[in-house]
Amino acid sequence: MITGKPILSTSNLMLQVIYGLTLGVALQFYFFGWGVIYQIALAILTGIVAEILFLKIRKKSIDVVKDNSAALTSILLAISIPSIAPWWVVVLGTSFAIIFGKQLYGGLGSNPLNPAMLGYAFLLISFPLEMTRWASSFLSFEEGLNVIFSSIHIDALSSATRLEEAKFALIEGEVFNPIQIDQTVWINLGFLVGGVYLFFMKVITWQIPMSFLVGIVVMSVLLMLIDSDHAMGPVFHLFHGATMLGAFFILTDPVSSSTTPRGRLIFGFLIGILVIIIRTYGSYPDGVAFAVLLLNIAVPLIDYYSKPKVFGR
Amino acid sequence: MSKHDFRGGVLIENPYPLKQLNVVEVPPPKKAIYLLKQREGASAKPKVKVGQKVKVGQVIAVSNNDYCVPMHSSISGVVSAIDDQPIAHSSGLKVPSISIESDGKDDWITLKGCGEEVDKCTPDEIIEKIRNAGIVGMGGAGFPAHVKIKGAQGAKTIIINATECDPATLCDDALMRKYPEEIIKGIEVLMYACQSQKAIIAVEEDKIDAIIKLNQTIKNKNISVEAVPIKYSTGAEKLLIKLLLDKVIPTGSFASSSGVLCQNIATVKAIYDAVVIGKPLVSRIVTVNGSALKNPSNYEVRIGSSFSDIVKKSKPSANPHEIRVGGMMMGVDVPDKNYSICKITSSIIVDEIKIKQKESACIRCSKCNEACPINLLPQQLFWFCKSYNTKKASSYDLQDCIECGCCSYVCPSHIPLVEYFQYGKALVKKELREQELAAKSRERYEFKEFRLDRIKQERDKMMAEKKAALKAKMAKEKDNKAKIAEALKRVNDKKK
Amino acid sequence: MIEAIIVFSIFALLLGLVLGFSAKKFKVKGNPLVEQINSILPQTQCGQCTYAGCKPYAEAIAKGEAKINQCPPGGQEGVDALADLLNVDTLPLNEEHGETKPKHVVEIDEELCIGCTLCIQACPVDAILGASKVMTTVIASECTGCDLCIPVCPVDCIYLIDLKPSMDEYVPNMEKVTNV
Repeated sequence: MITGKPILSTSNLMLQVIYGLTLGVALQFYFFGWGVIYQIALAILTGIVAEILFLKIRKKSIDVVKDNSAALTSILLAISIPSIAPWWVVVLGTSFAIIFGKQLYGGLGSNPLNPAMLGYAFLLISFPLEMTRWASSFLSFEEGLNVIFSSIHIDALSSATRLEEAKFALIEGEVFNPIQIDQTVWINLGFLVGGVYLFFMKVITWQIPMSFLVGIVVMSVLLMLIDSDHAMGPVFHLFHGATMLGAFFILTDPVSSSTTPRGRLIFGFLIGILVIIIRTYGSYPDGVAFAVLLLNIAVPLIDYYSKPKVFGR
Repeated sequence: MSKHDFRGGVLIENPYPLKQLNVVEVPPPKKAIYLLKQREGASAKPKVKVGQKVKVGQVIAVSNNDYCVPMHSSISGVVSAIDDQPIAHSSGLKVPSISIESDGKDDWITLKGCGEEVDKCTPDEIIEKIRNAGIVGMGGAGFPAHVKIKGAQGAKTIIINATECDPATLCDDALMRKYPEEIIKGIEVLMYACQSQKAIIAVEEDKIDAIIKLNQTIKNKNISVEAVPIKYSTGAEKLLIKLLLDKVIPTGSFASSSGVLCQNIATVKAIYDAVVIGKPLVSRIVTVNGSALKNPSNYEVRIGSSFSDIVKKSKPSANPHEIRVGGMMMGVDVPDKNYSICKITSSIIVDEIKIKQKESACIRCSKCNEACPINLLPQQLFWFCKSYNTKKASSYDLQDCIECGCCSYVCPSHIPLVEYFQYGKALVKKELREQELAAKSRERYEFKEFRLDRIKQERDKMMAEKKAALKAKMAKEKDNKAKIAEALKRVNDKKK
Repeated sequence: MIEAIIVFSIFALLLGLVLGFSAKKFKVKGNPLVEQINSILPQTQCGQCTYAGCKPYAEAIAKGEAKINQCPPGGQEGVDALADLLNVDTLPLNEEHGETKPKHVVEIDEELCIGCTLCIQACPVDAILGASKVMTTVIASECTGCDLCIPVCPVDCIYLIDLKPSMDEYVPNMEKVTNV
């Protein structure tokens, strides 16, 4: 049963999701500095401009931008990419996400693929160097501007993520201690808190985040048992990479995810399993984007076979 | 408190709480219009003529169709017109009606009921009395009560639906406070007519006064009051049965075939009037509510009165209004107050004109599926109805939708989902009708071809027989002629 | 190189055999397309399409001899449904064959009828009841509104009766519902 006043508009829904992101983003800023803020600002600007441009081409009213979905997609993409990426990375990525991920299909509600993840996959495949250079320390206001707009000192300021370190360690056969409370863990915790906030605000339902996290745990435990050389264990996978961001903010994008309750359980679970497989055996350090896109394509099939049982039949 | 529940539903805050629930009795109107068709199906045929004098309770229209109950006059006076008048329906069409002008008196026909000893009459006689009193389901569906009761003979449980889950409608609450004894007696009549052992009165748990009054009045240990949670769409018959008895009535079958009879509480009170007193259905309680009214209230009013009669009494503001008939969630919007009260008019909501929220794109959030008590996929049905895809919509069980409005209420994009489904259902019905008509025409056409063919064959056969007979005759004649010629020749030869 | 050519040739041969076998084994008798087209046509049997009934018109469409937009009683919806079935582009209804009239039935004025039975012979669905020099009447529930009886009547006593819109058959106006 739905109790209380329902969320009365789509724009409010999107706004609540943006509020849920604040803690995680604040932690990102705390650890990595002003780079994050510039990326977000650039992304939102590009996203809104791209959407207005395309709405004009499609001869639709510009009021559609007020539904905050372009802003949300832009923010999600901006916080998924390295904060020291050059400015043209986020601009290209956001434009691609808004145009090819949303507007070309007919606007909000008609896109089969998650726009933010489509943009991220496009960037990762096209610019692997820029997308794997992550900030190593706090960037000040000026340093951030220099790095992003002129790529000054970029090599000195970059380092690999923990997931990448884990991958290299496994390949080299070195010792690697997965249990270490580092920056990514705090950021993931921040997104977890944001996600729980969204759940209590009834913006998202429990099926997708729960099944995704269960999928992650199940697959990582399974790998620990059958292939312990490559396994990092469930706790590592739960709090590193984009797990919590994915669980509560990316997979739960209503337009591209499954719509039936049982379908959502299958959707989240399969993504969880795929993410671990890509992380362990794939060539990319984090597999959330690709796993999400693959399952987005499978959504019509999942929905068809998970139709709920109608009352009286 | 019941332990079971049905999934979905919404909790709606009452936007127009009524401070006092006393019933204001409205004197008979000066003019009344009786609509002879209030729901789908046959309409009653007038039994009176223009200029004829009628009394209160006199039958003015009847029908041979068992699904159409008689209509009675609720005022005494003269029939002034028999024509088409508007009905509060989304089509805006008119239906056949009888208009009567009052003579100022309140002359009734002589009432003949079974009295308090109802078992003097047989159950069949009681059902006949219910039909002759023109009683239909007064909760809003208007289904003939006697047909339902006839079909529910031997039902073990009777459920009296007093849930009134629509927040703005409060007429049943007022009825329970005013007529508790009549209601209980009416339930006993029903239990006798159906030979049932148990009756449950389902009331929303916040109608505390009504529950107390009923409990004080009940002396029969087979009748009990059950407080149900305040959840919208609890009042739907199949959902209520699931909530109270944990029984799921399969699609396409009636509750009566599962041994349950469900009747609205106002219908039960009307049954008491009809069977015990002999009074036909001529009045009902209507809630007049809304943000544009100074004195919203419940009115006990004669059927056929105009909306404006009672809306005036509630002191509407001078600004333009929106008027909704039949409840906040499932009601019909009408443009003005020139409609007359039917047997199924439960509430009239008069609001100041609100800015309608603009419909935006569906984001497939599935809140509609969360709210749907029938567990349908409204977002899918929406896409199919919008693209006129009746086949796919039917395969996703569009026909099972009860049009409760839970999905439209929770949709963040303000999509009027129920209107799309009503459109889809009308399209499906239209296609079915056209297919049946076409099949019938094709059959008749093919039979005509066959008939003409058969006539031709018979004629050919007859001609062939005639020809053969003629040939045989001619051959015989030729033969005879040849024999005669031969005989003559012999005679001639002999002569020589 | 040679191996590739040999492998692909064998492949092509096998596939050809499979296709030939399937064509013979799964061949569909008759032409189900005619039935499908006929089920979309309104069965008025009026002949406005220039064919002697709905089935002959369906056969002509299936053979490719007739265009799909020749049926006025089916209206533009009928043309669109045919286009959908045959997977071709839809055409506007050809007005030369007549205009789509609202659903109606006909009625015989009994004062004027002379019992000549010409209308009975003309009606394709036998919806007119009568005999020579006997009062003739139209069975309204069987009348398809094809109007074939009207021109043959020598005393012009057959009239059109428009069917009143009913609450039961109401289809809401979608334009009013959606304002996106």
